Amino acid sequence: MSSDPSRLIAALARDRINLDLKTLDLCFLAGLHLRAERASLASFEEDVLIDMFEQVCDMVDPGAERPRKRATHAIQRLRDQRMLARVDGAGIFRSGEYTLTRLAAAVVEYFLEDEALTRESLTLLTGTLGAQLAEILGAAKRVDTENAWLKRVVAPLRITVGDLVGGIERRQRGLDAQQEEVQAEISRLLQADWFGAVERCQSLLDTTTDTLRELNEVLLRDTHHFLALLQEIQALASESGQAESESAVQRVIEHVDRIAAWGGARQRAWSNYYQYTHGYLRDVVRLDPDRALSQRLRDQVANWPSTPFHLLVAAEPSIRLLRPLELRAERPAVTSPRMDREASPDLVGPEDTGLDIEILVEGALDAGARSLAEVTERVLPNFPADLRYVVTGRVADVLARVTRTRRDYERPWRTVAPNLELEDWDLPRAEKSR
Amino acid sequence: MTTSSFESLEEAIADENFPEVDLGLRRGRHIGREDGIAYDYLVDALDHLEPFYRRFGCELVQRADGYFYLLPSGDRLGRRQLSPGEMLVGQTLALLYLDPATLQHGGVVQRETLLQRLSGLLGVEKLVRTLNPRRKKFDERIAAETVRTKVTGALRRLTDLGFIDSVDDAMLRLRPALLRFAEPVRDLSDWNAALERLIKSGEIALGEADEDNVDGGNGAEDDDEEEAGG
Repeated sequence: MSSDPSRLIAALARDRINLDLKTLDLCFLAGLHLRAERASLASFEEDVLIDMFEQVCDMVDPGAERPRKRATHAIQRLRDQRMLARVDGAGIFRSGEYTLTRLAAAVVEYFLEDEALTRESLTLLTGTLGAQLAEILGAAKRVDTENAWLKRVVAPLRITVGDLVGGIERRQRGLDAQQEEVQAEISRLLQADWFGAVERCQSLLDTTTDTLRELNEVLLRDTHHFLALLQEIQALASESGQAESESAVQRVIEHVDRIAAWGGARQRAWSNYYQYTHGYLRDVVRLDPDRALSQRLRDQVANWPSTPFHLLVAAEPSIRLLRPLELRAERPAVTSPRMDREASPDLVGPEDTGLDIEILVEGALDAGARSLAEVTERVLPNFPADLRYVVTGRVADVLARVTRTRRDYERPWRTVAPNLELEDWDLPRAEKSR
Repeated sequence: MTTSSFESLEEAIADENFPEVDLGLRRGRHIGREDGIAYDYLVDALDHLEPFYRRFGCELVQRADGYFYLLPSGDRLGRRQLSPGEMLVGQTLALLYLDPATLQHGGVVQRETLLQRLSGLLGVEKLVRTLNPRRKKFDERIAAETVRTKVTGALRRLTDLGFIDSVDDAMLRLRPALLRFAEPVRDLSDWNAALERLIKSGEIALGEADEDNVDGGNGAEDDDEEEAGG
């Protein structure tokens, strides 16, 4: 089964799990449970079930008609809800034999058995748990195979220790319910008998306080001992590389921590309740033995709109703290940069490089240059170094326009200036176009 | 002979708890046993602090129910009277405090229970007229909203004053200081005589308190909420 709570809950919802038990059903189950206990019965024949239902029906709903038919429906209803299970496997060949399921037993035990934690039950459980843990620790020191770890450590931790710890937790929940009952009981006693109930209420308060204190003392002492034993087992498991044993111990440690935390939390919560109730008994009940104050106050509230009065309370405002002086940094206003829009235009030289190149190229051709490289070499010295790359391109452009060029398939690279090479063209002699 | 562990007023004032306790008391807070150290400090320093506060024209009152508060009698220290909303809510909470049913939950009540009890005691229309006397028309939806708004505001201020603790959005923990609201009916004497005695001692005042100007604008804020709703 998956351990993911969301998946578990989704599976329950998918299966549409529900319980619908009427008082008659619960009484029927309780009757069967008690009968099984007294007569040591493991299962019930169908006739016994019907007979028990009729007896219960007589007590719970004396005027009911056709109890036998109702019994048939009740048995089917309880089987559908997994409260009763048929155990004979004979099908339709003979009447069935039934037993109460674990679910039914738990439900009935909740209502019938007082399983609250007491000093006696806790001492017995913690004593057994301590002995069991000591035994497991002894085994953990001796075992050397994985199989032995599983058999001698993991299994007892999961089953025996798990059951004992679960038993303590179950009884803790029982005591929680008992505490709630005590609180409700104190409230009921005061409602019914006001001043006359003070002593009884005080006694209930003191009894529960003593019980909780004793339990917490036992829990504090024993859980400390359990944790020491468990940590020793865990250390041995860790040294032996037994991951499964380690995690089994860890689960028990978490359980024991929870048990110990319960004691402290309940004692604190009860302490708050005790103080409040004790103050109430002292300041309200004892000072108003006739319980007249509530009635007078009720009248006062009802009549307040017509005869208003107001309580006075001190109302000194908080000391006004002046804010410390801060030097504010002057932020300049956001503006666009100022410029003199009436200024005279700058004088710049004319860009006539192109014209110069054309004249220079023609001059170079006239002077006898017979290749792109020769023409470029003659033109470039007339220009500054940063323009030479650009000029080289323009020379080629002018040359292509003013002459016919001849290009070999493989054009040679020629250096025309420092760091500047070009793919050369030959110019046929005396073939100038103009 | 004094039982205080403080030798002098100077020692009492030098204690680390004094600033918080002093500020709380001056703002009208009721400091009770539930406040733990602050309450223990007041019990211990009472002999020195009583004459100290008397110089400011106010009385440091200790009640047998287990709480302290400051009661100004002159003009040296500011004071205010509780609003109609605070008075009605406070008295109803005092009634709940006295109810044994509340005891079952350690003095914790639901806000809903308070509203039910309040409307049960006064009736919705009377409640609305008391909480918002300026509104002439009665509309059930707006009335319910008005009541909820005023009660919420009153609960917030009563929490600040130490009459109750707010557990969460839905639950309140009642404190013994609520019994101040029951003072006029606490003894069996004539109610008018008791009221007169309390007026003389400066515990209560007669007359109308403005719901909207109870403490620095909180009431006005409530009114805004209500107008917005209505």
